[in-house]
Amino acid sequence: MTAKYTALPLLALVLALAGCGQKSAKDEAKAEAEVTAKAEAESPYPLKPLWGDTHLHTANSSDAFAFGARIGPEEALRFARGEAVTSSTGIKAQLERPLDFLVVSDHSDGLGALKAIYDAPRLLLRDPTLRRWHDMMHEGPEGTQKAAGELITGFSEKTLPKDMMDPKKSEERTASIWHDQNKIVERYNEPGKFTAMFGFEYTLMPNGNNLHRIVIMRDGKEQADQVTPFSSLVGTTVDQLWDYMDAYEKTTGGQILAIPHNSNLSNGLMFQMTETDGKPMTAAYAARRAAHEPVVEITQIKGDSETHPFLSPNDEFAGFGKAGWVLGNLSMTALTTNDMLVGNYVREALKRGLEIEAKTGVNPYKFGLIGSTDSHTALSTADENNFFGKHSGVEPSAIRAMHPQSLGRDGRVGWQYMAGGYAAVWAKANTRAAIFDALKRREVYGSTGPRMTVRLFGGWDFTPDDLKSDWVKAGYTRGVPMGGDLKAASKPGAPSFIVSALKDPIGANLDRAQIVKGWIDAAGKTHEQIYDIAWSTPATRQPLANGKLPPVGDTVDLKTATYTNSIGAPELQTVWTDPAFDPKQKAFYYVRVIEIPTPRWVDYDVVRYKAKVGPEVELKAQERAYSAPIWYDPKA
Amino acid sequence: MNWRTGVAQALREPLLHFALIGLALFGLYSLRAPVDQDSRIITITAPQVAAMAAEWSTGWNRAPTPVEIDGLIRDYVKDEVYTREAKRLGLDRDDLVVRRRMRSRMEFLATAAAEDRTPTTAELQSWLASHAADYAQGAAQSFDQVYLGGSQADAAAIAAKLAAGADPASLGVHTSLPTHVEKADDLAIEDSFGTGFAPAIAALPLNHWSPPIESGLGWHLVRVSSRIPAHAPALVSVRRAVDNDWRAAYRRTAETQAYQALLDGYTIRIQKPE
Repeated sequence: MTAKYTALPLLALVLALAGCGQKSAKDEAKAEAEVTAKAEAESPYPLKPLWGDTHLHTANSSDAFAFGARIGPEEALRFARGEAVTSSTGIKAQLERPLDFLVVSDHSDGLGALKAIYDAPRLLLRDPTLRRWHDMMHEGPEGTQKAAGELITGFSEKTLPKDMMDPKKSEERTASIWHDQNKIVERYNEPGKFTAMFGFEYTLMPNGNNLHRIVIMRDGKEQADQVTPFSSLVGTTVDQLWDYMDAYEKTTGGQILAIPHNSNLSNGLMFQMTETDGKPMTAAYAARRAAHEPVVEITQIKGDSETHPFLSPNDEFAGFGKAGWVLGNLSMTALTTNDMLVGNYVREALKRGLEIEAKTGVNPYKFGLIGSTDSHTALSTADENNFFGKHSGVEPSAIRAMHPQSLGRDGRVGWQYMAGGYAAVWAKANTRAAIFDALKRREVYGSTGPRMTVRLFGGWDFTPDDLKSDWVKAGYTRGVPMGGDLKAASKPGAPSFIVSALKDPIGANLDRAQIVKGWIDAAGKTHEQIYDIAWSTPATRQPLANGKLPPVGDTVDLKTATYTNSIGAPELQTVWTDPAFDPKQKAFYYVRVIEIPTPRWVDYDVVRYKAKVGPEVELKAQERAYSAPIWYDPKA
Repeated sequence: MNWRTGVAQALREPLLHFALIGLALFGLYSLRAPVDQDSRIITITAPQVAAMAAEWSTGWNRAPTPVEIDGLIRDYVKDEVYTREAKRLGLDRDDLVVRRRMRSRMEFLATAAAEDRTPTTAELQSWLASHAADYAQGAAQSFDQVYLGGSQADAAAIAAKLAAGADPASLGVHTSLPTHVEKADDLAIEDSFGTGFAPAIAALPLNHWSPPIESGLGWHLVRVSSRIPAHAPALVSVRRAVDNDWRAAYRRTAETQAYQALLDGYTIRIQKPE
């Protein structure tokens, strides 16, 4: 038999298949357009928060690949929309609840580079370092982790092989992977059901100090395909990233924004008083930063960046997500000293924003807050009882909690990873445009994982009676939502705030809701004050002599990794009026909602895998949510 | 459809490309002289030398000198000699690196052609029909609810007011939960109210205020006003999802089949330790 004859029936089949599905193409397109229009329709105001992850890495990120990630954007999207997938280490993984949106945000630097080294025919790798990494990765997990460590150090110290650092080659490689990935992202975007957005991570890291940004586009594949993700090999300052973003908007007619993250690992550089080059900040620079970076990621796997006990000694909740992370910068090549902390944390940045505004007239640090995971496993897992690790080298196992961290070298250990965070977005529809617009107007909040619903409205005439009827509508008509600007009142009096927090419907009860206020006085000095405004069982739980509310209690059983909702409250809401309002002082107000104590992922490992952990290990925590602030400006 | 468009479309069909490539490969292999695996003759052809020089040029941005070309050839010969000798010693069988590498190349070959295959509407229709359960639009319910908070203490008083015709929106604890929920499926209901709430209210009689019902948030009085039964959606409203699932399955099948075809040629004998 010859091949010619076997191929004939196949050819006939191909011709037959190709002929199908032609006649009703027009009707189909019309029906599809109708379905899309219905799914994209926006409500008059946001009805419920959409939950998502703006920060996720897959096998296309070189460091993720080196740590063993073998699943890519498609699996990431399928997982986020609720399906079961098999993790890189062969474990079945599924979310208890699907997410509403996902940004696959792989590192633009060396996008797909390690995968390319792994896949390349060995003989074509001329560079001895690349060859060595190729061999190490093929040897197995240990070699892979070693290659990753060398890669991260090499990247931050600019000692990578010439071929990897060459911007032109890097851009060619990046473009090819970017276009392949965009096809997948476009296919998984289902308006109204699940939104897949285009984005990447710009991994700026001078001397190992973390200045990373996630960059997100509002637009479709047509626009995204016109650019390649901006590399920190090309742009070595954030100003150049903003130039790139301006160029994107000009070329494509689209919109783009950047979200800084892990300010806690920046050794004071993320929220400086100066411009990048150390000169005093000008109004133009401040405006540029505020316009390009309307949101900051406050919490994620690599620690929590709200504040630090050194900066907020009166805040008994300031120690959350600090262990290990406070020691030094991202690569642990420089230790963190107390004088750096002011530039490392979000609350201080919000205060610095007021200070710079007093000098220049513009607030550069006027941003909304979100959480995200920063998982390098292609799996967005922020739930403590379902945490797949920072990267594929630390997917569930009996030893991961006490394993030295990849970012460790000196003293960072596996248990210090947090089980991620999620972004809650008050969007008017589940579409790219509506989610982007909500980020842009800062109507967002961050959670350390639990999906609590948090509302905040500021206005001049809210009263407790408003809570007896449709206060959401009242909030939007008579006030401003989180992220908004409260303009000067027409008559004397203090502003009042509608604050409402509802527990995660499958999670833990709430301990308390707080307002964090920051302001600047006439002398130009900034201050902060935390108010407990609503808490559980107020009849029996009243502030002590020192003004502090007693702790809520603790129902965690470490032996079984469980807790009960016999303490705390399912909902907390109130109308709060600022008791120390000075109409002449600029101020911001954000809400912090604290859950009752629950087991951390480490305790689930102890119970499930009989993991052995030391006495220093934190096994429980009070998870939380942070709203975007509302700013008061007497001159506005 | 006339024959011209048919042929034009067929020429764009990846399955056809695949068939033609297969045909071409078959031809090539049948014409090629048999290779002696144990041969000790190494021939370097002119195209091979050209390819080495081109690869070298991309790294150095200039053509190699004749001396450098000789160096490349020497290096290639050394690779080839060692490779053949290593195979003679069976090193390729023991070396985990080599084995992994070859496996990943084979897997890539098996799925590469499947990657860009676009399904036809007929294929998607048939997929939807055979996986109807995966795409069924769940039963939707419309209801009013009054949230009582964490305790049922006020239930009786509020129920009395509702019985007297009070507006539900004016009663109970007003959280960010909506008083009226319109046409929500089980997933949407449980998203807001927690596990178990959708089936609990599905059992309620229509247009009557219920006794207190527990959710993940506390207690509620509920009045269901309408129910839409589950139904199979038209392809147009789930096309994206069907298309993605079809592709994922197609790729999985391609790999499984390619492996199975090879596996079928083997006899596997397994001896487990006692």
